[in-house]
Amino acid sequence: MGSKGSRTVIETSDLRKEYGSTTAVDDLSLTVFENEIFGLLGPNGAGKTTLVEILQGLRTPTSGTATVLGLDLQESLYEIKDRIGVVPQSFQTFERLTVKENVALMADLHSDSLAVADVLEELDLAEWANVPFESLSGGYQRRTGIAMALVSDPEILFLDEPTTGLDPAARRSTWEQIERLPEMGTTVVLTSHYMDEVEYLADRVALLVDGQIEAVDTVAELIDTFAGAVKLVVHLTDQTPETEEKSLATLLEESAASVYRNDDGALIGVFSDRQTAQDVYTALHDLGTGHSIDLISPGMEDVFLELAGQSLTPEGDLE
Amino acid sequence: MNRVLTLTKTLLRDWVRNREAVFFALLFPLLLLIIFSTVFAGGPTEFEVGVQNNDVTSMGEPTELSATLITAIEETPALEPHTVDSDTGLEGIENVEEATGHKRVVVIPDGFDARVRSSSARVRMAVIEDTVNRFQGDISPGQQQDIQDALGGFETEGDASPVSVVLLTVPDDEAAGAVGSIVDSVIARFNDRSIGIEDPTVSKVTEQRGQQALGAADYFLPAFIVAMILINGLMTVPSAVAQFKRDGTLKRLAVSPLRKHEWVIANVIQQSILAVLLSLIMVGVAWALFGVTAIPGPVAIGLVVIGAIGFSSLGMIVGALIQTPGSAISLGGAIALPLMFISGIFWELDLMPATLQTVAAYSPVTHFHRSLREVMILDSTAGVWTTAVLLLVLAFVFFAGAVFLTNWQSFES
Repeated sequence: MGSKGSRTVIETSDLRKEYGSTTAVDDLSLTVFENEIFGLLGPNGAGKTTLVEILQGLRTPTSGTATVLGLDLQESLYEIKDRIGVVPQSFQTFERLTVKENVALMADLHSDSLAVADVLEELDLAEWANVPFESLSGGYQRRTGIAMALVSDPEILFLDEPTTGLDPAARRSTWEQIERLPEMGTTVVLTSHYMDEVEYLADRVALLVDGQIEAVDTVAELIDTFAGAVKLVVHLTDQTPETEEKSLATLLEESAASVYRNDDGALIGVFSDRQTAQDVYTALHDLGTGHSIDLISPGMEDVFLELAGQSLTPEGDLE
Repeated sequence: MNRVLTLTKTLLRDWVRNREAVFFALLFPLLLLIIFSTVFAGGPTEFEVGVQNNDVTSMGEPTELSATLITAIEETPALEPHTVDSDTGLEGIENVEEATGHKRVVVIPDGFDARVRSSSARVRMAVIEDTVNRFQGDISPGQQQDIQDALGGFETEGDASPVSVVLLTVPDDEAAGAVGSIVDSVIARFNDRSIGIEDPTVSKVTEQRGQQALGAADYFLPAFIVAMILINGLMTVPSAVAQFKRDGTLKRLAVSPLRKHEWVIANVIQQSILAVLLSLIMVGVAWALFGVTAIPGPVAIGLVVIGAIGFSSLGMIVGALIQTPGSAISLGGAIALPLMFISGIFWELDLMPATLQTVAAYSPVTHFHRSLREVMILDSTAGVWTTAVLLLVLAFVFFAGAVFLTNWQSFES
């Protein structure tokens, strides 16, 4: 069983990748520690896949250096490949082979491996073991991909957009599989454009925009640093008397950093600390105004908005 | 080596479960083998030919010599004559087939009998004169003079110049040349007999050497084994490789410790194993259906393996260069099909124009096919070692090219 450590397993220094006049990765330096889930968050085209493919030995950097598991990427490429696991973004494998045959293939291609049956059992794939890969649903195909990556007992697992295209249930199930990995001694590098995914899974997150890292820290620290404001939203209606509206606004203004009305007519108070917001929320409830009131904590979306200046669409593009 | 064997096993499993690959690699050549062997199992081909006899008596009966010529044509095994009515006017006709229903028509002219008789008298006299001259030393001057006097006093009646039988053909008749040669041989024999030569000075005797009694399937079997290796190597392999590239399977393998030369080797070994297995299946089917005796021995199996290595390596090059399975099949087919056509797979090289025969001499498939046929049918290894070396050199070059050109980085996302 692993515990989050301080041993560096990935380190890049001024890593750069250019395609003609386009710079996909721009002098990027980062460190990933043992047994953590490290999230790489960014819009499509931010350079996430290029970065992880450099670390997997699938692309050659234009300049800069990178070490994986303490080994130089250029000099020890195949030793690194033997010690990492990868679930690519658009995962595919021999589709006419069964789940078990595909997982066994990966076990045999690596110098060390776990028992195939154990891995299938661990990932709830045992009953699908003899089903051809092409007959599986998207969720089970993705799970097979994870099994193929884990069977070599990798020290680092790269997951590139692991839940894209999955239904909510399959997504949640995949998350549960991923969050258990550090306990098994595997460091996870998770690439995603889903805020909730990164927020739920990652111990630390690097926010990548235009090939550069805008910020790296734990989710909590990023939120505290870049999106500390807590919002209290009072949903007014057309029937709300003007006097009541004014008294509610006054109540908010007494302790909120700012108060404003949004496009829907809701009254919003922005608080710098959660406790004050919670107190005002309780006070409003006790008044019994009859209005719906929400207390909204900031999240990675707010961090992203603050740092990138734009939100992300569900497809991962900048709005 | 363990990784290569693992991947080879995987590729074989994947192939066996791929219906399209099995059809193109096994069933297609097998069907061709069965069709060709069945069609050509009935013995030599008979060419249909129309015969129009314009040399008839006042009673409408064929003259004696024209009837003799027609009988000679009828007795020729390679020809299947059909009578064309002498009322069918063929003078100046452009479309012979439309007028007679036949692509080729032998026309015996009016006066044929009389002209042959006159010509034969002239030829006989020339022969006698030549004979006398050759044997001058054995004949007394007096006797020579008597013979010269007798020949000088003999005059041929009518036109004694050679008479022509016309063979009319149409432009799209591929067999016109072959039929022309057969008709030539019939006329040559007729000429001999017209001057009294029943026993020619030179005759031909055909002897098939070797102990085997060979049928059409025996000849087609090596050809279709070569075809199977070409189709598999140059069409199935590139298509599969392009598909693996497109769907991300190759990328998945590239992030494992597998090296790209191991990927190429595994594919080549898979193709070699398949080539041997499929050859044995084809031999088994041909033996069961046609009783073939051309059973491949170790040398033939060795040739099959070397051929499979060479052509599947070339297929790996095609697969490495092309991105989509459809385009890979097209390019592979564009290489494989012409090679098959000019290399004597579907028909004898001797039937092809001289230019193409020259091109065929440079085709490795020609040598591969010829050597496999040599070793399977005649159990002879003449030229086989040269072919084996040639194929080995090509295999090495194609293999090195495949490893060099296979992309193991920068996959399309």
